[in-house]
Amino acid sequence: MSTANPGGGKGGARRLVPSFEARMLLPALLLLAAISLFPFFYIIYMSFNEVSLIGGVDFEWVGLENWVEMFTDPNVRNSWITSGVYFIATVGLEMVLGIGIALLVHELVWGKNLVLSMLLLPMFVAPVIVGLLGRFLVDSTYGLYAWFLESTGLITWEILGSKTSALMAVILMDVWEWTPLITLIVLAGLSSMPQTVLEAAKVDGANYFQRLRHMVAPLISGVVVVALLIRSMDAIRYYDIISVTTNGGPADATKVIPIRLYETAFRFQELGYAAAIGLGMLAFSILVANLFMRILRGQERAR
Amino acid sequence: MRGARQVALYGVVALVLLWTLVPLVWMVLSSFKSPDDLVSSTPRLLFAPTFEHYIGLFTGGNALGGYIKNSLIAAGASTLIAVVLGCLAGYGLARSRFRGKHHVSMWIISTRMAPIAAVILPLYAVFRALDLLNTTPGLIIAYLTFNLPFAIWIMNAFFADLPVALEEAAMVDGASRFGAFWRVALPLTAPGIVTTGILCLVFSWNDYAFAQSFAGPGSQTLPVAASQLITQTGINWGQLMAIGTIVVLPMVIVGLAVRRYLVKGLTLGAVTGE
Repeated sequence: MSTANPGGGKGGARRLVPSFEARMLLPALLLLAAISLFPFFYIIYMSFNEVSLIGGVDFEWVGLENWVEMFTDPNVRNSWITSGVYFIATVGLEMVLGIGIALLVHELVWGKNLVLSMLLLPMFVAPVIVGLLGRFLVDSTYGLYAWFLESTGLITWEILGSKTSALMAVILMDVWEWTPLITLIVLAGLSSMPQTVLEAAKVDGANYFQRLRHMVAPLISGVVVVALLIRSMDAIRYYDIISVTTNGGPADATKVIPIRLYETAFRFQELGYAAAIGLGMLAFSILVANLFMRILRGQERAR
Repeated sequence: MRGARQVALYGVVALVLLWTLVPLVWMVLSSFKSPDDLVSSTPRLLFAPTFEHYIGLFTGGNALGGYIKNSLIAAGASTLIAVVLGCLAGYGLARSRFRGKHHVSMWIISTRMAPIAAVILPLYAVFRALDLLNTTPGLIIAYLTFNLPFAIWIMNAFFADLPVALEEAAMVDGASRFGAFWRVALPLTAPGIVTTGILCLVFSWNDYAFAQSFAGPGSQTLPVAASQLITQTGINWGQLMAIGTIVVLPMVIVGLAVRRYLVKGLTLGAVTGE
């Protein structure tokens, strides 16, 4: 079933039709090439050079030096580990909480729409504001949460000043912002389930957890995977929250890889080395994008 | 039994809402608090509201108006360009079958997902060479690196859901190929176009990383203005909460306006909602 040629009946149109789609695609793809492919090859070139910003941009070929340095630099390795911890903690918590909240909201009899609208609000907040607001809430003099934690005796120290609590704080800020996205996606999966099948299982005496495990879980697994991939991509994309709260500190406890990259490039002016680190990040996101494409193609085939 | 379960359910949901809403409510409340009320040792829920932080932000040498204008122009222009080109290309992609289409799709989606830090680096060097640093056009181009692939991708998903038969019928009735797109396909995807536009606007309005790296005094945006209130000598929390409110409020309103289509937009077309 070819859709490239809807006007096929009209003789000569046949050859012209494909070029119509091409003409529609061309302006956008040319612009996209200029702003994506060109920088992509540029960053590869940068990674083999020592780049200096004194008076314009100056390159000095150093071969594999930056790459060797990246694979042997203990600081970069530590940042990858911190990124890994941050990634697993944020995405893990967001998935567990997001799915749990979606199951709860799905059961609501009234007020479902209103509750969902309120739950979604954090998603629209600029990540930098999430960071600044989080900093306000845990500030030892001004903060509402700091006051609460201190008066209950749970945390009596400066939250962003200590390694473990600072890492936990930036993780929870991310969780606050993005759990709603998982809830939203999983709810879409839940509401598209065939209700009659679930009702039948209920009548047959299956309890809530039996239905959850044997019917709901398989039905929404596809949607859950999509949610996981979408979140995974964004989790390595953004670094605004950490940038305005701890900026990597204290003692590198929150120095995830994008923060390390930024510091390498703009504070230590080692742009070539930063380019190698950036390509490492890019490799990861392309891997996730690949998985995402596979799922989409699987869906298309199933249709 | 059933009643008890519902009560417990609403109890847990109330806790989740508390966790979600307290920071936002507290931000808005704090933006109306006098410095004395902000610093009180026990947090105050009741206080005499003051507009001093908002007034302070809009008066004086470094007034917020300029930042708002920069934000609107940068986010608005990149959204407009992305949506127009995204509609054309999204349609082209949805209606064409060619060898290597998979690779084009992969390229588009990878561009959208590329880590911002890794994008900033080469763009910074290129912008420096082209004198685009500290300019609004530079920022618009930077925002297009994520808005353009996003718009192409999402519009492709919306057009793909549209039965080709409608356009074929229009063409049998004498419409040109472009006429079928312009008068049939485009109006039918109006919700998709609005959703795409709003999400592009939210992404670029909320950007901090690009603006902080590329924009200068004359082109600086609102989120960066917020971060600049944190200085070595201290933080004006009242003004900071006021800027936060100004940044967040419009995005919440436009975001909720397209709630029905959010799932599709935010999952890049992989899940269709409600």
